[in-house]
Amino acid sequence: MKGIAVAAVMSMIFLFVWERVDVVRLGYHIERLKSQKILLERERDELRVKLSSLTSPERIARAATDKLNMVLPEKGQVVLVHLEPEVPSIQRPSTGEDEVKVARNVPMRRMK
Amino acid sequence: MSIGLVLGFVLVLVRLVNLQVLQAAELTVKADRQHQKSVTLEGARGTIYDRRGKVLAMNMEVPSVFGVPTSLDNPDQTARHLSPILHVRTGEIEKKLRQDKHFVWLARKLEPEQGRRLEQLSLAGVGVVMEGRRFYPKGPLLSHVLGFAGMDDRGLEGLELRYETFLRGEKRVVVLQRDALGRAVFPKGFNEQAVVAGHSLTLTIDEVIQYIAEKELDEAVNRSSAKSGTIIIMNPKTGAILAMAGSPRFDPNAMAALNPDRWRNRALTDSYEPGSTLKVVVAAAALQEKVMAPNSMIFGENGQMAVANTVIHDHEKSGWMSFAQMVQRSSNIGAAKVGMALGDWRLFDYLKEFGFGEKSHIDLPGEVPGLLRSPREWGRRSVASISMGQEIAVTPLQMVTAVSAIANGGTLMKPFIVSEVRNITGLPVAHTLPQHRHRVISAETARTLTGILEGVVTSGTGGKAAIPGYRVAGKTGTAQKVDPRTGAYSSTLLVGSFVGYVPAEDPQLAMIVVIDEPHGEGWGGVVAAPVFRKVGEQVLNYLGIPAEEPVKIAMTRAAF
Repeated sequence: MKGIAVAAVMSMIFLFVWERVDVVRLGYHIERLKSQKILLERERDELRVKLSSLTSPERIARAATDKLNMVLPEKGQVVLVHLEPEVPSIQRPSTGEDEVKVARNVPMRRMK
Repeated sequence: MSIGLVLGFVLVLVRLVNLQVLQAAELTVKADRQHQKSVTLEGARGTIYDRRGKVLAMNMEVPSVFGVPTSLDNPDQTARHLSPILHVRTGEIEKKLRQDKHFVWLARKLEPEQGRRLEQLSLAGVGVVMEGRRFYPKGPLLSHVLGFAGMDDRGLEGLELRYETFLRGEKRVVVLQRDALGRAVFPKGFNEQAVVAGHSLTLTIDEVIQYIAEKELDEAVNRSSAKSGTIIIMNPKTGAILAMAGSPRFDPNAMAALNPDRWRNRALTDSYEPGSTLKVVVAAAALQEKVMAPNSMIFGENGQMAVANTVIHDHEKSGWMSFAQMVQRSSNIGAAKVGMALGDWRLFDYLKEFGFGEKSHIDLPGEVPGLLRSPREWGRRSVASISMGQEIAVTPLQMVTAVSAIANGGTLMKPFIVSEVRNITGLPVAHTLPQHRHRVISAETARTLTGILEGVVTSGTGGKAAIPGYRVAGKTGTAQKVDPRTGAYSSTLLVGSFVGYVPAEDPQLAMIVVIDEPHGEGWGGVVAAPVFRKVGEQVLNYLGIPAEEPVKIAMTRAAF
């Protein structure tokens, strides 16, 4: 009976000490994670700034014209059209034996 | 033996009571001082986005380097190590490190890469702290509108200044617990919260439209060797600013060497005599008041008319012409006659209604009201002068807002540039809705006037503003500036401008282009109208607004 009481008190003490130690240990762990978070956030911000400056229209336009020899479309080279919502059906006047190859690996078919 | 034990316990007890109870307050303070550290934390300044969420300005933590001169044995060696990384001469660093101080800044707000190299070196007596620095990743793009923030992260100009209270992060002193090694341990209490970053702004500006506008404006200003240029693109239906730029531009990342004159946003801080573009407003008033109809005939006096002992000239001599032709040819004599037919007060009231002479209250700092005097102060020539855009000063923003009112069917809108303010979690704090100021003309009048203004582009002075496939309505303007030496109108110092909207049947863009002091041919139709065409064409493409006129595409069929 006495032994059980002593054991109970001892385990209470151990539990208490363990709890205190663990709080401190977790405290350090949290601080470490926090500083890790700050480092990652810093890296994220750095990458966001970099992304933003790399995607700036001025830089892209310069790369397109200087490096890739692209040109801006001239007057009238871009035509915007209204897109009809319904599925376009191919309707052309029948020209007899006319065969149209749609794409490779697609069987030939006759156009009506 | 047992007495000794009891005595010992009593002794310990007395000491404990003394320390824990009697001296408790004093010792707690002492202990806290040793293991607590208070730090000032500042939340990051808010980010500025364009209408499509592209970052235009944001904060980033960057390294600042300090030295502890008193702990250095060999300052010249340390300086030699630092010099290539900091890009500062060895001598200068050494001088700082030889001071008898515990702390000295060596370099502030460096590039992140420099910080990493310093960490690798890990020099004794040299430390690195992180500080927030404002970055403008797009360089000079939108610089006049964004403004900039200073070294201490306070907004000094533009949106950075106007929205300072929203953008600024929370500043708070936080108490940290330190262990024996000075590391931070668990803070007191679990409810400690991180400092809150500033709110972010979403603009009505579109990065791509802004880029197109700046590129074409810069090119036009360079080509005509002009002093400066301004462009504003507005959504006429809402008053939202899609692009606003001044030329020459500046880079807000490198402000130090610039003259304040360079970063003034001329679109609203400078007023100018608008010249013929004001005839749009005079014509609107005349049509609304039924003083004129599009086919009313006006006699052009063959290019010369005397008013109040002065003579008004026309660039193109006209005899009889219709009201519509008067606008399309930009006849000064015709405009003066229309103004006189309206009378002083009616002309003044309409100008006032269209927003001239008062601030538009756009959410940008430094706006001026321009100059519109009351008819009581007018001279005998004033009504004629004002009708042709002299004796009145307007800002480009006022002009484009007024023309937007004609474009949208007669309602004057309040221009705005920030559409939303969001807090760090992304929840909207403030949201700007399009704001009607008042109706200035009827929808009918707006439609009639649009027809006349289309004629300016198809068969008048604004031919170079025509965009193939689209109906463009607009007006050219060429104003003479007052020569500061003679005090009279100069024949060489000009302001060429074009203001208009497209597509005329359902306007999506209202735009003003102002070129200040171009060399060579300074006519608005020559220097400014082509900018309208080039920008308009690219922006309509970008926005995917299809051409009104059907386009014939030659169809070819492959033969197999």
